[in-house]
Amino acid sequence: MMKTQNPIPPKLADQLLAWLCRGDLMEEILGDLHQYYKELPEKPKWKRSLIYWFHVLHFLRPFAIKKSYRSNYTIMFRHNFKIAWRNLLKNKSYSMLNILGLAIGMACSILILLWVQHELSYDRFHTNASYIYRLSCNSGDFRTAVSPAGLAGGLRRELPEVSATVRLTHQYSALFEVDNRKFQEKRIFYADSNFLDMFTFPLIAGNASTALDRADGIVITAATARKYFGNEMALGKMIRMNNGVNFTVTGVLENIPSNSHLQFDIILPMSYLGKTDSNLINETWDNFNYYTYIQLSGNVPDTDSKRADLLEKISRVYKAHESELDISFNLQPLADIHLYSNLQIDLSGHGNVQYVNIFFGVSLLILVVACINFMNLATARSVPRAKEVGLRKVVGARRNQLIGQFLGESLIISFLSLGIAVSIVCIMLPAFNEISGKQLVISFLDGKLLMWLITIALITGFLSGSYPALFLSGFKPVNMMKAKMKFGGSNLFFRNSLVVIQFAVSVLLLVGTIVVYNQLNFIKNKSLGFDKENLLYIPMTGDLYSKREALETALQQNTLTSNYTIISDLPAQLITGTINVQWEGKDPDDQTVIPSIDVDENFIDVFQVQVTAGRGFSKAFTTDGSNYIINEKAMQIMGMTPDKVIGSRLSFNDSEGSIIGVVKDFNFKPLQYAIEPLVLRFNKRFRIVVVRTPPNSTENVIAALEKIHHRLNPDYPFAYNFVDKDLENQYRGEQQMGTIFNLFALLAIFISCLGLYGLSAYTAEQRTREIGIRKVLGASTFSLVNFLSRDFLKLVTLSLLIATPLSWHFMNEWLQDFAYRAEISWWMFAVAGVATLILTILTVSYQVVSVALMNPVKSLRSG
Amino acid sequence: MGKEYIGEFEELVLLLIVMLKDDAYGLAIRKALKTQANRTVTIGAVHGTVNRLESKGFIRSSLGGATELRGGRRKRLFTITAAGKRALQKSRDVKVNLWNQIPELAINKL
Repeated sequence: MMKTQNPIPPKLADQLLAWLCRGDLMEEILGDLHQYYKELPEKPKWKRSLIYWFHVLHFLRPFAIKKSYRSNYTIMFRHNFKIAWRNLLKNKSYSMLNILGLAIGMACSILILLWVQHELSYDRFHTNASYIYRLSCNSGDFRTAVSPAGLAGGLRRELPEVSATVRLTHQYSALFEVDNRKFQEKRIFYADSNFLDMFTFPLIAGNASTALDRADGIVITAATARKYFGNEMALGKMIRMNNGVNFTVTGVLENIPSNSHLQFDIILPMSYLGKTDSNLINETWDNFNYYTYIQLSGNVPDTDSKRADLLEKISRVYKAHESELDISFNLQPLADIHLYSNLQIDLSGHGNVQYVNIFFGVSLLILVVACINFMNLATARSVPRAKEVGLRKVVGARRNQLIGQFLGESLIISFLSLGIAVSIVCIMLPAFNEISGKQLVISFLDGKLLMWLITIALITGFLSGSYPALFLSGFKPVNMMKAKMKFGGSNLFFRNSLVVIQFAVSVLLLVGTIVVYNQLNFIKNKSLGFDKENLLYIPMTGDLYSKREALETALQQNTLTSNYTIISDLPAQLITGTINVQWEGKDPDDQTVIPSIDVDENFIDVFQVQVTAGRGFSKAFTTDGSNYIINEKAMQIMGMTPDKVIGSRLSFNDSEGSIIGVVKDFNFKPLQYAIEPLVLRFNKRFRIVVVRTPPNSTENVIAALEKIHHRLNPDYPFAYNFVDKDLENQYRGEQQMGTIFNLFALLAIFISCLGLYGLSAYTAEQRTREIGIRKVLGASTFSLVNFLSRDFLKLVTLSLLIATPLSWHFMNEWLQDFAYRAEISWWMFAVAGVATLILTILTVSYQVVSVALMNPVKSLRSG
Repeated sequence: MGKEYIGEFEELVLLLIVMLKDDAYGLAIRKALKTQANRTVTIGAVHGTVNRLESKGFIRSSLGGATELRGGRRKRLFTITAAGKRALQKSRDVKVNLWNQIPELAINKL
């Protein structure tokens, strides 16, 4: 038999055995194992250890493992568990209220936390996420997410800190064709060739660093590939764009994760756009069209001063190329874009860190409300258990044992609730996703999530069990054993203050609900300065563009469509603006960005915008091609009066003309923004046909438009949309938040009521006999109900008083984000207050009435 | 105790204990299992089985000599009891009886 110099079996394995195995068997087991180990044939040490471990682990069988029931500790453990279980069963309705309330509260918190986690996870999955920044350019207060075409290259060449830059266009839409099947795509980006190097979206097929190199390459997502090619391999296949240009698939990306701020179906190479786009060809520095992302090498500017340094350098580079414009810059860390972006001309779909904070707060509040329920019911029900505790103490239980017992009981309940809560979450998740517009998933393989869940249950258990535990274990046994001991004072006060907190939270959420609802309604119904109803539009795709005259003739011939206008940008989608506007007496330092819309002579009539001075555009005036109409805000900025402004000269983007009219301000941007100055130009660019549909004939108008479209533009699919729908979509984020907020506010109130119900039931039960006596002595049912619910009503009123100023403060803060707000008024608090009071009365009286109606003979006889 | 049945593996171990006479302890039984019956099992499995056999009353044990190889720990040596012998005998009788009742032809056909 070979022997190594120092054959010692793994110590850890022996320790494990010693810990788990019966002491009386240890000698023979270890003896056999050691002998076996030493007799093992010559092998590497790790192999021998492995074999040893294998045998050791096979000793973990029932016969060898310590029989733990022998210890006193486990006897007590089992006993406590049994008592806890019996207590749950003994008071089924209380237990139900407790567990249900806690479970609903936990389910809410879990749902919200899932959402919060998702919001916070945006864009962190890119390998170099912490080194990537988006450059934003500001002109005074006009803060945008876009930068000029030349800036990216300039920074890369002239700043050593910048290791890579990627430019991205705004989202385009185009028609794609595969095997004679056509697809209108709306989520297309043009991107620089190193896009996939900086943003590490995983590829299924193709090479990340070369996929966008060729100007006729196209990168599509897996979902798009499936739509186009089914199960066939997409790589290398041909896709035709806009009935003319062919692209070859050079990359297939996995579907874009929902926590990416860039959402797209197709990426096209910037070099394709660069063939025709003058901004790209000339690398211009004064036209702000592109989203620019920069990747820093090594040192991230983590302090304010470093960041200011870098921005200073960027400014210097910019100044060297473009000295006229006064542009300031900002760097947004990639991971902050989703939540902290509040810029104009930005990609849509951003979140708001304020909502994340609010919802995180709400989830905590709901959990607190649920915990309070539990505490309250447990404290209330502690009286009957006082005897049990007294007896335990007499027999010799120490205080920490009792605390352990009660904490253990609440932990059992909280974990039971957690189980139910998780099932609720699993069931409700699809509905929640529907409301929130997210694709959240709950994965139990996610260790972090499990940790969170267990932490929630532990905290809830400890929090809600702590008061009963400390409270009950602190009494003198003598007092407790005297059956009629009186609990009052601190117990009652504690319970009452919990109820007050609970309802204050509920009222807070209720007021929040009302304010949010009111504000969203206000935005929805606010007059925008033009009539947004019944406006239908079709984009001018393909041949429509070149057949404008034929199109107009066709539109005019049909009375359904004759009320039309052809414009460049829809009010909801206006993303252009320039500071290159000159007028007489303009302050040379003025850097106001002025957006413009190009319209035809029908615009003012169709949109029903009011002309306050001068006139609208007309074909009758041949010079109108170089004339302008401005809005009142623009007039105000120019410092002119209506009578002076008409006929004055205005130069817009270096083309001079005169102002012929002033229109009343209308909201051409989302209502978060106050009205900006606006210039209307006559027939410069045209992209969209807007038709005002006659009442109740929307269907017919669509049919008529479709016919015209098919005749003039057969190669492109017909698509239409409504202006008011578009506008509504802009507030979808707010609407979703509103709905979620409402939902959770209602749940919080429901949980509070659940608790109140339990508490009132308990009080009523306690006072059954008193009520019986009162009845015998002639008290009426009404006076009894009044007498029993008075205490609760007092508490709820107090919580109203506390919640009112708090909710006013919080909601006022929320409203500051809107340029147009429905101010908070007293009736909101009144509604919330009255609703809470009514709910309280209903909840409390259900139990109280049944007790008050009881035949006193019954209640007095028993016992 | 007489009503206890023994399983196939238990029977094997029991037989080996008889065979090993004075040196029937866990590891020795495991080795014999390998050489005599070509069965490889973990040490824990052998211990589990002898433990069960002992509680059924088929074997009894005593602590034997310690060796350096075992780190100074003593062996637990097993010897068969009368009940164990009876159980073995009964098991063999049942089988022999059954074998005798099967015509040779029927086996060959299998």
